[in-house]
Amino acid sequence: MVWTGLSPDAAREALVNKDKSMRDKRMALKEAVALFIKDGDNIGIGGFVNIRQPVAITHEMVRHGFKNLTLSFQSAGLAGDYLAGAMMLDESRFSIKRIELAYWAHESFGLSPMFRYLAERGKIEMEDWSNYNMSARFKAGAMGLPFLPTRSPLAGDVPSSNRTKIIICPFTRRKIALVPASNPNVAIIHVTAADKYGNCIIRGTDATCPEIAMASAHTIVTCEQLVDHEVIASHPKDVGIPFPAVDAVIHVPFGAYPGACRRHYYFNGDHIRRFHAAAAPMQKGGASGALKAYYDEYIYSIDTFGDFIKKFPADKLMADQAAESYNCQRPA
Amino acid sequence: MTDGATYTAQEIIVVAGSKIIEDKKIVFVGTGLPMVATLLAKRTHAPGLIPVFEAGAMGPPLNAGLPISVGDSKTFTDASYVKGLNAAFEMTQRGYADFGFIGGAEVDMFGNLNSTMIGDYPGGYQKPAVRLPGSGGASDMAASCERTILIVPHDKRKFKEKLSYVTSPGHLDGTPNARYNTGLQGKGPYRLISTKGIFDFEEKTKRMRLISVFPGETVESIQAATGFELLVAADVKLFAPPTREEIRLIREEIDPNGVFVKKSS
Repeated sequence: MVWTGLSPDAAREALVNKDKSMRDKRMALKEAVALFIKDGDNIGIGGFVNIRQPVAITHEMVRHGFKNLTLSFQSAGLAGDYLAGAMMLDESRFSIKRIELAYWAHESFGLSPMFRYLAERGKIEMEDWSNYNMSARFKAGAMGLPFLPTRSPLAGDVPSSNRTKIIICPFTRRKIALVPASNPNVAIIHVTAADKYGNCIIRGTDATCPEIAMASAHTIVTCEQLVDHEVIASHPKDVGIPFPAVDAVIHVPFGAYPGACRRHYYFNGDHIRRFHAAAAPMQKGGASGALKAYYDEYIYSIDTFGDFIKKFPADKLMADQAAESYNCQRPA
Repeated sequence: MTDGATYTAQEIIVVAGSKIIEDKKIVFVGTGLPMVATLLAKRTHAPGLIPVFEAGAMGPPLNAGLPISVGDSKTFTDASYVKGLNAAFEMTQRGYADFGFIGGAEVDMFGNLNSTMIGDYPGGYQKPAVRLPGSGGASDMAASCERTILIVPHDKRKFKEKLSYVTSPGHLDGTPNARYNTGLQGKGPYRLISTKGIFDFEEKTKRMRLISVFPGETVESIQAATGFELLVAADVKLFAPPTREEIRLIREEIDPNGVFVKKSS
């Protein structure tokens, strides 16, 4: 098993056959998820821990239901949690077969009870990498290369946990690691701003979003702000992801919430902890009631991500916006 | 030296960590206590310290306060250079990071760290007893920063003869040139700070060596809490307790909400 998404040749072929025209790609999130994601796909997840994770897209994926997905990411938080929680509740409705990852937890908000539940029960296949390994794998995919040489992993147990090849560099005669490209079937990414063609602007960390989008056969983008093409074209060097890499554009304000999105909102730590508290009993061997109640209330009983956001009091949303405007003060 | 400040185990780690960092150096900062120590260093003896965060920010002044994530918006405001993960790690491979500041769940005598799993590797890899978050950027920092500073809370179960899993390579098996021979760059672990003292890695054997004990600890009490035989420096120093001003900075200015430095109850 070398390629768990598309092989480099298949990834090339997918692009060759794709309609790369500059056309209006706006559609409903429901439509995009149904159109581009299939059972068994390898999904490249954008963002970093709880920053700009594609939370709205994962909610829609949960409502749709998918089986045997492979998830590829460097560091995940909420996006992984929402997909994993759905699998904890009903594997016949939603399931993850495999994850290729560097990190899955929440830094100051603690470990992920969902990841622990799936991993410690042997329910998913894991392939551990590092943040740079996964980022370099997406970059190799984006560069149209089968691998990149990297300075890690060369020692310890990470190299034997994954498909790294350690070779003698033909030039230096020293050991060097080769990490295989990752070309996911579909990238799911939340960006700061986009136009209707899919040109994207990313503020704060790029994370590995440009590389994941360029490496994938298809890319679904949600954006905080949908702007006229002329606004983006006036600063073309600000474009992090160019339109031919994008297949669907959906305007979803608060699309990374309760995680954070630069210039828009800071973390809602209370809700992240509440979500984790709902999963914790199952992780400890207890009942699924709390997690089921969470999913019923926040995902299954509602139709769109806008309905999810409406469940938060306006003053809380405004407080999280105010916290972020303090982080990056700028004139309106 | 002491001015009678009361402090917690995490607070003395932060103070010790900040003192090890040198001014005007580029420091690749991992999540958690390293971020608090970096801010304390910047506000005391190292105003010219240049922090780098793996999500892609280089040289932010951190005026908006303590980041709660290494991709936090606070790390990007007024930074000198802003990209993504690839750029941060490419710079590190190139040699731009003088120090890397990382934590782990377990450490061995050569400064190798585990942050992946507790259990049996490789047999139990796909069904670990406890699944930890994974490397994140720690193994990359361990591989490519010029020197690394490790933070591990002191506990016999965490200072182990043999780790469940080696996530971040330190001095490997301690043999001469072990790091170079596996292709790694950098000099590896430089200091380790625990809740009981400060350690370096003896030049010849690369084994963990006690160089400084925190107040209330002795060489014997630290050895008793360690799962392998420690080397002990000829002139072990007593680490001066944190000052009232250092504690005030941590509690009131750097981490007032107790995000990483828990409030003592």
